[in-house]
Amino acid sequence: MQCEVVEERLSEYVERTLPHEEMVRVAEHLQECPGCLRLMEEMRSILVGCKAFPSYEVTTALLDRILLRTSGRPRSRTLREQLRAYFVQPVLTPRFAMSAGLVLLFVALAAALMIPRVNVVASVLSPRGLLLQMDRGVQQIYSEGLKLYSAKNEWQNQLTYFKNNMLGKLGFMIEQLDVPVEGKKKPADQKQQEKRPGQKSSAWLLPA
Amino acid sequence: MLPGDEKMVERCLQGDDAAWETVVNSYAKRIYNLTYRYTGRRAEAEDLTQEIFIRVYQNLKSFRSDSGSFQGWIMKVGRNLIIDQYRRTRRFPQAAGTEEMESMNLKDEKLPNPQRGVEQTEASRFLREGLQALSPELKEAIILRDLEGMAYQEIAEFLGIPEGTVKSRINRGRLELAKLLTKRRTQARMQV
Repeated sequence: MQCEVVEERLSEYVERTLPHEEMVRVAEHLQECPGCLRLMEEMRSILVGCKAFPSYEVTTALLDRILLRTSGRPRSRTLREQLRAYFVQPVLTPRFAMSAGLVLLFVALAAALMIPRVNVVASVLSPRGLLLQMDRGVQQIYSEGLKLYSAKNEWQNQLTYFKNNMLGKLGFMIEQLDVPVEGKKKPADQKQQEKRPGQKSSAWLLPA
Repeated sequence: MLPGDEKMVERCLQGDDAAWETVVNSYAKRIYNLTYRYTGRRAEAEDLTQEIFIRVYQNLKSFRSDSGSFQGWIMKVGRNLIIDQYRRTRRFPQAAGTEEMESMNLKDEKLPNPQRGVEQTEASRFLREGLQALSPELKEAIILRDLEGMAYQEIAEFLGIPEGTVKSRINRGRLELAKLLTKRRTQARMQV
């Protein structure tokens, strides 16, 4: 078999669609002819390459273009695309990124300031915290009561002291002031008689 | 034909935009990949895909369910537009050197030899460039058979040519690609 004849049948030989006899004859030629063998191997490589030839997906932009140029109706979006259009795409803008950055910064600062207080409030609102708070309140009230009681006793003592001592001294001093100035000494009983009810005296101030 | 395609077309003709959207969603990927394989560039493939759907929308009335499937009809409309585009620009620009030359992950279990694995990866990378070097007829046949996975009979009906011609074009296209790949490998070895 000549090379030209083999070349004409090479495609069918590779696809194994030749009749059996011709398959054998071509195979015999290929064993003897390195050029045709090389050609057959390259053809086989190309067929394998064709099977692996990539199949590309159509972009949504192209589908949009086609529909707008034909029916004029925009492409109906899937739920995923709608979610992406409403939530993801706005996020991917510089303006949103800037705003989000500022908001995050603000939240971080607020959290740094607020979290310790929140912890305190949370601990106070716990059952143990509430019991401790109540206990502390009762103790405070009791200590305040004790303070008031001791203050009251203090005032009472001072009043008693004032009453017993200071007023006594004052009475003594008043008694001393009641001594006549002119030097006329009168007997004690006469002095008592000379005192009239309307006359000024500090004796009434003295304790009974 | 996909189930309900005929009803879907009827609904489209009655002005049901939702039905048209379903049609676009169903066939956009296939049409886009077909145009991408012809042009080798994404931007051009997108523009062509858009033009194809505009043409389909404008010519929905001319679809006859008894003359073939809706998918086949859309593919024909697409193919005609691609050919028109080719005639206008004479040839599609080369895809070589574009950012789209991603490496493909090839797995050929029948050929465990690492050397063969490397060669196949190279072949698949080359394929995009190699396709642009073929004549439109051969490229079309290779795309429909090896990339779109259509049967010979189907391709013959689609292109309106005898099945023997389809087989011949596919064989010639594959041979040209194989020769180009061999030449490229030889050049690479010479440079090393």
